[in-house]
Amino acid sequence: MASNLGGASISQTDDFETFTPTTDVEPLKRAWRNEKAAPEILPYEASLVGRIKEQIQAMEDSIEEYSRSGIDPLIVSLYQMDLDRIQFLLRSYIRSRLQKIEKYMLYILKSDELFRRLSKEEITFTDRCRHDMKKHFDESVLSKLPNNYQDVLKQSITSEEDDMVPEPPLDTFVVCKSKEYLEHIQLEDEEERASSRIEEPFEMEANVLHIIRYRPIKSLVESGRIDLL
Amino acid sequence: MYGRKACQLVTELASGEKGQLTHFNSDLFEQVISECQQHHLELQSLIRKVQEEGLDLQTTKNEDHFGALIHHLALVRNKRCLMAYVHNRAETIRSLIWKLLGSMIPPEIQEKLSNSEEEYFKKHSARLKEYMSKLELDLTVDMVPPKDPYIQVRVLDDIGEGIVLSDDKTANFALHSIHFLKRTDAEQYISRGLMEELRG
Repeated sequence: MASNLGGASISQTDDFETFTPTTDVEPLKRAWRNEKAAPEILPYEASLVGRIKEQIQAMEDSIEEYSRSGIDPLIVSLYQMDLDRIQFLLRSYIRSRLQKIEKYMLYILKSDELFRRLSKEEITFTDRCRHDMKKHFDESVLSKLPNNYQDVLKQSITSEEDDMVPEPPLDTFVVCKSKEYLEHIQLEDEEERASSRIEEPFEMEANVLHIIRYRPIKSLVESGRIDLL
Repeated sequence: MYGRKACQLVTELASGEKGQLTHFNSDLFEQVISECQQHHLELQSLIRKVQEEGLDLQTTKNEDHFGALIHHLALVRNKRCLMAYVHNRAETIRSLIWKLLGSMIPPEIQEKLSNSEEEYFKKHSARLKEYMSKLELDLTVDMVPPKDPYIQVRVLDDIGEGIVLSDDKTANFALHSIHFLKRTDAEQYISRGLMEELRG
């Protein structure tokens, strides 16, 4: 892939499209923005990341070839800049996922839905981190407490459910916009709806910015109909 | 008064600057832990008393029951405070790890950590490195969005000569010298405080 790219585009270096053959940059930018803005971890874009990595490799190869074949260094540095930007997006995307895992690993490990969103490498990472963190907590606090109070997930054995798991703030506000006209978005929870008499179905025009709680639009973000900013 | 010391511990955490570590307050920490053990002793003796009087633990609602309840709640609250202290410090440690990956723990940070925290620091750094090598992606560079592939930097510490850069050239980073480098080359030195970026 790299060689045909390099060879074909040398003669027409001003044609940007030949440099980035299939552009996955926009989808990556979208995934990165959503991941940055969403309070919880989103499904891993495995095939997108795979393609981007191949493209980065191809771009690196052709940049090397350009600089060897004596093309104007300015042009080469422009390509380099473009490559740097893509690499930043990829790294930042993966970083923000890891940081969410670090923060909410117990919560993610408890929820099948979230756990399925991790990549293979992320699963290994999560497991090991949990192990390290538990050891740290055990040594610092839990092993020194009385018997019935040593669980890391529960306050004491009398707690019926896990009540010591940090959860992502799903009720935080996010800035978002929709790609198409959406109607009948349910903004209130069931309880809130029962107590408030006025019930107005919320609608979103395409490309209009909204600031809104994350929880009600969660499923729309996951299905890709709403983008976060 | 129950819970006062644990409260102090958490206040200390909350009043500290975000992202900065203070010394691990092992003194206060141990005091809270022994308070927990004290609560547990009292709790058990109250429960024994109820049992000795031949009353059913589940249904008895006398003064001993409520006394035991208070000890239980105080203990649980202390546990939450202790965990909050360790948990939040662990979070700060992780954010420091992101900045320091690939280098040793600086002594001024090391002296602030408890033994277990130091262990955690090392292990977690290793985990991140494992992940990066598996992905074949260095996540420690590009911490800020790139504007220009090259930046101007000044060397703040004598890094030495013969440092090989990514384009296979070597550079001499003597103290106070100014260089025009690839951003990716310079970033690792900047994050360790060995260089600073010069902005026009």
